[in-house]
Amino acid sequence: MCVGLSAKVVSVKDGTAMIDASGAQRAVSAGILEDLEPGDYVMVHAGVAIAKIASDDAQEADDVMEELL
Amino acid sequence: MNDSMKAARDIITSYDGKPLRIMEVCGTHTHEIFRLGIRKLLPPQINLISGPGCPVCVTAVGFIDEAIWLALEKHCTICTFGDLIRVPGTEMSLAGARAKGADVRPVYSPMDAVDLARENPEMQVVFLAVGFETTTPSACLAAEAAQKEGLRNFSLLTANKTMPNAYKALIGSADAFLYPGHVNAITGNGVCKALCTEHGVSGVVAGFTASELLTALAVTIKLLSTTDEPFFRNCYPRVVRDEGNPAAIALMNRVMEPCDNEWRGLGMIPQSGMKLRAEYADYDARLKYAMPVITGKPNPACRCGDVLQGKIRPCDCKVFGKVCTPLHPVGACMVSDEGACAAYYQYS
Ligand code: SF4
Repeated sequence: MCVGLSAKVVSVKDGTAMIDASGAQRAVSAGILEDLEPGDYVMVHAGVAIAKIASDDAQEADDVMEELL
Repeated sequence: MNDSMKAARDIITSYDGKPLRIMEVCGTHTHEIFRLGIRKLLPPQINLISGPGCPVCVTAVGFIDEAIWLALEKHCTICTFGDLIRVPGTEMSLAGARAKGADVRPVYSPMDAVDLARENPEMQVVFLAVGFETTTPSACLAAEAAQKEGLRNFSLLTANKTMPNAYKALIGSADAFLYPGHVNAITGNGVCKALCTEHGVSGVVAGFTASELLTALAVTIKLLSTTDEPFFRNCYPRVVRDEGNPAAIALMNRVMEPCDNEWRGLGMIPQSGMKLRAEYADYDARLKYAMPVITGKPNPACRCGDVLQGKIRPCDCKVFGKVCTPLHPVGACMVSDEGACAAYYQYS
């Protein structure tokens, strides 16, 4: 039940965001993420967008490994 | 696989130093590390231990019994995350209660349970609120929405848990923790940094993709083998910010407050849970239905408690794979996909 779903925000209205996850669209709560905009990527958990996603994981791996090595 | 992933993989596979114990606190990490074949890359000196971070696995037997009491005695409609339905209670699971006529429904989100209550005023809907800081905000949003709308037929049975005191209870069980990325997405990194500076506990925040798990393990192994100093690193920066999600933290503090909480296998951990504040008493199923004290009795054969603390591997439990299988689980760790026993059964 803790699996997150990454998705793109299609629209935001009245605290609800319509998201697109690999083609499947559904409405989720945007109640704990202010200033969401269409085009943002978010992590969704139990029907709630919990965090904005800043980059893809390849870029992230570069950043993490650069700091380590 | 890009160069960074290859570098991470090389650090892991070429390690030949002292034995290391790394605990995946989060059940989804356990599952993904198996599923992606990362366990097969590990040299024998690296021992990955599964921790207590599967909310289904740590839900106490008594909580299942409470939900069954609401379903069978008070005829409430129980809405829950699907995994919980097959978790054994003292005498039966919610699936067993359903066979006796209980109305038990899986939902994707607590808000789905609010919708069900709104559309069916004749029903008394109870949502089973389990989970860590990742999930608790969704239950709080549901309680706020129900109060705002004045719904009289919706309530929560809470067993929400918080990680900080559980980490403290686990100090010493591993050389480093892989911290659950989606908990830190909400709480931020302050607790993990304090564990490092005040208690000497090392750990890294890990994401869930192959690249994220490889880099998190590489960072952990490299730092454990090159420094004697405790460390903290955020290896999931595309989602986890130092400050976490302040709106979610404010929401949780508005709707809920800390309480002592029982963890399956670990017992009562002081101030490790969240319950509804007095302002939301009308939405607290225990108060609304004047629930008696219900204490569950776990199956004595089940060693989930030792598994959840990394003291034994699932296959060390006598009934693993014989009496206890995903189809006929004896303990909670065999039910959920994220449970350590289920992951071992499925992949090893
Ligand atoms: S194998 Fe089954 S009985 Fe044994 S610890 Fe795991 S869940 Fe409990």
